[in-house]
Amino acid sequence: MAVRILLVDDHPVVRQGLRTLLEGRSGWEVVGEAADGVDALEKVDSLQPDVVVLDVTMPRMNGLEACRLIQRKRGDSSTLEVLFVTQHDSPQMMREAIEAGARGYVVKSNAARDLLEAVEAVSQHRVFTALARGPLASC
Amino acid sequence: MKLRILLADDHEIVRRGLCSLLQRHEGWEVCGEASDGREAIEMAKQLKPDVVIVDIGMPYLNGLDTTRQLLQNDPNFKVIVLTITDSDQVIREALDAGARGFVLKSDAARDLVSAVAALQSKRMFFTPRVNDLVLAGFLDKGHAVSRNEPPNLPTLTAREREVTQLLAEGKSSKEVATLLNLSTKTVETHRSNIMRKLSLHSIRDLVVYAIKNNIIQIQMPPQIGTPPETTVA
Repeated sequence: MAVRILLVDDHPVVRQGLRTLLEGRSGWEVVGEAADGVDALEKVDSLQPDVVVLDVTMPRMNGLEACRLIQRKRGDSSTLEVLFVTQHDSPQMMREAIEAGARGYVVKSNAARDLLEAVEAVSQHRVFTALARGPLASC
Repeated sequence: MKLRILLADDHEIVRRGLCSLLQRHEGWEVCGEASDGREAIEMAKQLKPDVVIVDIGMPYLNGLDTTRQLLQNDPNFKVIVLTITDSDQVIREALDAGARGFVLKSDAARDLVSAVAALQSKRMFFTPRVNDLVLAGFLDKGHAVSRNEPPNLPTLTAREREVTQLLAEGKSSKEVATLLNLSTKTVETHRSNIMRKLSLHSIRDLVVYAIKNNIIQIQMPPQIGTPPETTVA
């Protein structure tokens, strides 16, 4: 069954870049896009994605807050996972993202390198974190 | 003949998005991609693109200084600046650097094709806010955006601005020397001159100066640590 992916970033050009990367992979489907956290919550409800690729800094509702609300809404039975793709190359921000319930964290400057592996990992409910200069971690 | 476009942005994911956007347009081709300003200048020399699209917030050499150097090397280059902010200061500096197009990154999916098409037709492309400022300057109503206005950084040479950016990015004098093909002693002389000219006393002061003057750009994270009280709709 296809992995259904929702892309959330306030910049359409970034969403387009993410889409071109992800759509090259067979078995994955980008089912929708959202431009902020509020939009993301609505689309999580309506589209029922398996993986939400989420930016941190966005208008109306930031990604951390959206992630917390997604976790509260999803319930124990959901298989939905959140992967952050952000330009914040900071261990503190990564810790905050994981505490908010994310399964993965990738820095935007390395997204072209790390994104496919990260989506693969989180879609199988494994943790994937990678800062720009730090070691990769997948378990 | 196809219009040849060089893209310069440090995020490959953004370049992919821009490429995808531009290559849908028949008659245009992305002839090269650079991940920082220095690489963009080298690629422009080799590839001779018709249009160069430069992000402002790039490492090693920011988009504004890249634009200045590109046009110094070849005044015929047509440069579009991509930016996350259209503050007065950034607009003024982009115009002063010689950019002929100014597009907000958040609006790039909508505006970039129009901007390239405008430059292709030997016109300029600016956001409505830039147009307002240019018009206000033209009408002399207090928002003067004039090429005759003194630049924001009147006392630094191009080389000193490069050194300022690299030091503010956390590089040592030795690393700067390697990147710029200079001796460490020369870099240290530049560093002393910069600090003296700007009356700065520490690297911390230099970083603050670089941020305030758009030599480096940072994106502030949301406040973290204490999630606000929210309810699930």
